[in-house]
Amino acid sequence: MMENAWIIPLFPLISFLLLLLLGKRLKESSAYIGIAFTLFSLIFSLLVLGDRFTSPTYKTGAEWLKIGDVRIRAGFEVNQLNALMLVIVSLVSFLVHMYSKGYMQGEKRFSVFYAYLGLFTFAMLGLVISPNLLQLYVFWELVGLGSFLLIGFYFYKEEAKQAAKKAFIMTRIGDVGLFIGMILLFWETGSFEYDAIFKAAHEGNLSEGMITLTAILIFIGAMGKSGQFPLHTWLPDAMEGPTPVSALIHAATMVAAGVYLVASMFPLFSESSTAMLIVAATGAFTAIFAASIGLVQTDIKRVLAYSTVSQLGYMMLALGTAGYVAGVFHLMTHAFFKALLFLAAGSVIHAVHTQNIEEMGGLWKKLRITGPLFLIGTLAISGVPLFSGFFSKDEILVSAWNHGNYFLFLLALIAAFFTAFYMFRLFFLVFAGVPKKEAGNVHESPASMTIPMLVLGVLAIVSGYVNTPWFGTFLGDWLTKGNTYLEHGHGDSPVWIMLAATIVSLAGIILAYLIYSKRTISRDWLGGQGSMLHNILFNKYYADEFYNLSIVRLTGILGVFFSYIDRFIVEGLVSLVTGTVQKLGKMGSRMQTGQVQQYGTIAFFGLAVLLILFALTGGIFE
Amino acid sequence: MNDLLLSILVFSPLLGILVLCMISRSNERAVKWAGILATVPALALSLFLYSSYLGGSDLSAFSIKLDWIRFGNLADVDSKLFAVDYELALDGFALLMVLLTAVLSTLAAIASVSISKEWKGYFMLFLLLETGMLGVFMAQNMVLFFIFFEITLIPAFFLIGKWGYFEKEKAAYSFLIYNGFGSAVLLIVIMVLFARAGTSNIEALSYIINVGGVSLVAPISEGMKYGLLIALLIAFGVKLPIFPLHTWMLRVHVQAPPPIVMLHAGVLLKIGAFGLIRFGLGIFPEQFKDLSVIIAVLGVINLLYGAFLAFIQNEFKMVLAYSSISHMGIVLIGLGALNESGIQGAIFQVVSHGLIAALLFFLVGVIHERVQTTALPNLGGLSHNMPLTSGFLLAGAMASLGLPGMSGFISEFMAFLGLFKTDPLLAGIGALGIIITAVYLLRAVMGMTFGRQGASVRTRLVSDLNALEMVPVLVLLAFIVTIGVYPTILSNPLEDTIQLIMTGIRGQAG
Amino acid sequence: MNSVPLSAYLVLALILFCIGLYGALTKRNAVIVLISIELMLNAVNINLVAFSKLGTAPSISGQIFTLFTITVAAVEAAVGLAILMSLYNRRKTVNVDEMDQLKH
Repeated sequence: MMENAWIIPLFPLISFLLLLLLGKRLKESSAYIGIAFTLFSLIFSLLVLGDRFTSPTYKTGAEWLKIGDVRIRAGFEVNQLNALMLVIVSLVSFLVHMYSKGYMQGEKRFSVFYAYLGLFTFAMLGLVISPNLLQLYVFWELVGLGSFLLIGFYFYKEEAKQAAKKAFIMTRIGDVGLFIGMILLFWETGSFEYDAIFKAAHEGNLSEGMITLTAILIFIGAMGKSGQFPLHTWLPDAMEGPTPVSALIHAATMVAAGVYLVASMFPLFSESSTAMLIVAATGAFTAIFAASIGLVQTDIKRVLAYSTVSQLGYMMLALGTAGYVAGVFHLMTHAFFKALLFLAAGSVIHAVHTQNIEEMGGLWKKLRITGPLFLIGTLAISGVPLFSGFFSKDEILVSAWNHGNYFLFLLALIAAFFTAFYMFRLFFLVFAGVPKKEAGNVHESPASMTIPMLVLGVLAIVSGYVNTPWFGTFLGDWLTKGNTYLEHGHGDSPVWIMLAATIVSLAGIILAYLIYSKRTISRDWLGGQGSMLHNILFNKYYADEFYNLSIVRLTGILGVFFSYIDRFIVEGLVSLVTGTVQKLGKMGSRMQTGQVQQYGTIAFFGLAVLLILFALTGGIFE
Repeated sequence: MNDLLLSILVFSPLLGILVLCMISRSNERAVKWAGILATVPALALSLFLYSSYLGGSDLSAFSIKLDWIRFGNLADVDSKLFAVDYELALDGFALLMVLLTAVLSTLAAIASVSISKEWKGYFMLFLLLETGMLGVFMAQNMVLFFIFFEITLIPAFFLIGKWGYFEKEKAAYSFLIYNGFGSAVLLIVIMVLFARAGTSNIEALSYIINVGGVSLVAPISEGMKYGLLIALLIAFGVKLPIFPLHTWMLRVHVQAPPPIVMLHAGVLLKIGAFGLIRFGLGIFPEQFKDLSVIIAVLGVINLLYGAFLAFIQNEFKMVLAYSSISHMGIVLIGLGALNESGIQGAIFQVVSHGLIAALLFFLVGVIHERVQTTALPNLGGLSHNMPLTSGFLLAGAMASLGLPGMSGFISEFMAFLGLFKTDPLLAGIGALGIIITAVYLLRAVMGMTFGRQGASVRTRLVSDLNALEMVPVLVLLAFIVTIGVYPTILSNPLEDTIQLIMTGIRGQAG
Repeated sequence: MNSVPLSAYLVLALILFCIGLYGALTKRNAVIVLISIELMLNAVNINLVAFSKLGTAPSISGQIFTLFTITVAAVEAAVGLAILMSLYNRRKTVNVDEMDQLKH
């Protein structure tokens, strides 16, 4: 089965092409094409995963490009991480395809939406089975394109336009890092293939500095895609896209690609402690930074977006503290519960036609399916015991603790508290209390939307049990089996960490309950709206404003500066030359008096001078 | 028959001129069809050559060499010297350029349907231009090259000056003056080489300069070699264009009629790159090696300078014009890297930018025809009325900013791959250009197609692409994607050329 | 007969030529200018004849050329005068300073 894994990304590509050609005619039945093809992908992915349990890594490729003596290959690889990612991506994509059928109903460009979804899924699946950095980069950019197109799907909205542009450019800044890192690695090791790079790094063929430099450059690429500080601002803005897109791209798959990249380049990172520290520190900082912003946001999708940024920071922290399994594990559980949360949020938005949580409330009774599912997602992300997020988050905390970096551990713990708090703030504001506005027509979403949510809901609960300290670390054992560069840290996991994590998240939940549901504590107890703290958080630490004032402005100024060079120096030089020629011409023409006798005189004296010169020197040309 | 093939290929457009002579100038339909059809033989022949080359046949079978001009048997010099032969031949690189020219000519001819006056004269000049362009890539000696080079100049001047937009005369004159200057410098180089070496055959010159051991009419000193190379750099730098010799092409890009800009950006600028590679690298490889850092620096300057300027333009054509400057920087970067991947990247960029620029300018023409403006502040929301055009415009922009899967990425990647080997720091600075390219292209294209409808769009009934207009767009896009996905299709024909250049760089002895 | 040396002829021709040149370049009256040109031509004729008789390789061809020159000079004078006549008819002047139409 594994030798046929290449076909998995092709299904969505076919769907994309078909819909481009036939979309106009198919209208809303386009959905069936999209759903069918992603279903094929899902089935194949499951088969491949099943195969991977029993057989070793499969890798193949063929020559793609020849540069002198250098051969660049293209192919695919199925290892544990790839196989797992294939299933996650195709599953979430399939569910989102289904969900969108209900959510996007009545949209004029329905088939275009499905075509874009197909393109994105193709790119994402291609990304995860790439066996080398160059191919990964190719799909990495295509994923960005898919994201760009889908964010800008409502192209007539000014915000969507800006958000799409921003997403593309911000991620591209990161991509250039990856681009440079990849090329440097190529010249150092002579190959783009992962195994060749790891081998060279492991055998000490690369200098310490070069490993650190390339690892950091690659991490910059990961920062762009995964919305790590300081390249995070595009991700919340990306919520301008349709909600299913947010679930698929900006929660479960593409933003996790950065984490996936670091995970798949993990052997390189692990050779450099500096790079690891940077990854861990960036992750921890992003986790708490984004979580703190999430505390005060009022747009349901933006809260979720900041929580995504924060959770991605968690994953980076895990990887940076050598918690390879923890990072990948959290990537998986997060994909499920965050997709669930987004889909549920979409269902809420579908019902009440607003995204402002201040205008919602009391929806628990109206949305009998969405409500509980949202609660499951919230519990999972908050790290409440027995839900999937609990196990993966615990694994991360353990990894941070075992790595010995207690400050980062503390940050992670605080971020966990924040997460529980703002998620339940969101939950209580939306579902508890009384309806804010008379919304008689609030109704549950159709089955095409609720079924995918149900599936994800189940996964959000059970997916944690593949790797628990109680029932065995099956996932971790499998992921690291046979991989010489990875060792599954079987370090002891202190029980008190699990306890602390539970207490912290419960504290967050209780605090949120007291403030937003019971209202025993005033909402303004730590500085109400309008206070400085609130303003800073609400305006996301003014990161956008800062970028606008610094980088964007600087680019503009440079542009103007260069245009002055163009206009005055370059054009000036040119007009100087043409001006001189013109002046000379004018002077010449002024000498033309029309007096034949004058001409004759000049000609005569000219001849005389020549003759004298000739007589004196005997001629220049011998 | 085989040896006549290239001559037929070069001069087939002239046949079209003959046919056009017989058609009444008022018969618009017939003139336009004749004009379009006259470009087809060249296209068919070059496709035939390409396919037979891919099929493994030897291109040298097609070369032709006839006695042409003899400047007498000066004293006791070898009677073979001071002769200019009529010699045409192709190698992989030239074949690609010929194919590019033929394809773009046909597509530009299709795009010329929108020309609204004096079609007959237009198409005659157009076909003459095509002959010149085709000849430039096949000429085997510098004099013949120069003649074809000049043949492109004159029709282009009139095409810009007569059928262009508002400030067309000014654009045409600055085109003529700059290129005339470039030609003059080129002519000096050719004459010096011819007078000293007694031949203008490229291969022979390359042998004489690099291997030596041939007694010359007058010796060429080391210093003179550098002088000649720098003169070549200036001559082709005007064409390419290299900063600071670029201002003329901004005017041309903005003022010339869109089909001509397609050819101009697609082929004429590429003659500069072709000349640099063929003559600069081919005849003076060792001197080129010493200047390579300067060339790479110029490349980075071009790349960033064009990108920053494109960022602040408010006229879409200006954005594209500066983007051409910026993209030609990548050619220079590749050449400056002076290794296989760099040179391959440069050549890829030459072809790829030709296709992409042609696509974008075709769409510009379409939009301008419908909306009567391409000023960004007046546009916006074109996706409402012209979803196809907008989609293709976005695709073109994506290709231009180097999205993988399209040709622009491959060339950018290889050029940077090359430069990172020779000069990582410079390459790192240049890589910033990748970001800025994305910024300015998205700003411009999204400004036109996304968002609310602009003033000029709202007030007009704007229709989308029609069937005939779809042809160039789809053909170009197909080429762009094919090269992007399967670059071997280009790199295979180039293999020999690049090997040859690399041997030159490594030094004949080694 | 041969007592007059070649240099004497040449000096005479030189003097004649200089007078003619001076007249052609300075005189305002177009008729005088034409006459001066005739002087210069005749100076040349003297040279030709002198060389044909006393030069290093004496031959008759110098004298034949002189005949041609005289003819050409006559023709030139005729054409010049004709132009002058028509100019005078048109502009009522023979002053060369006023004849600067070539400039425009």
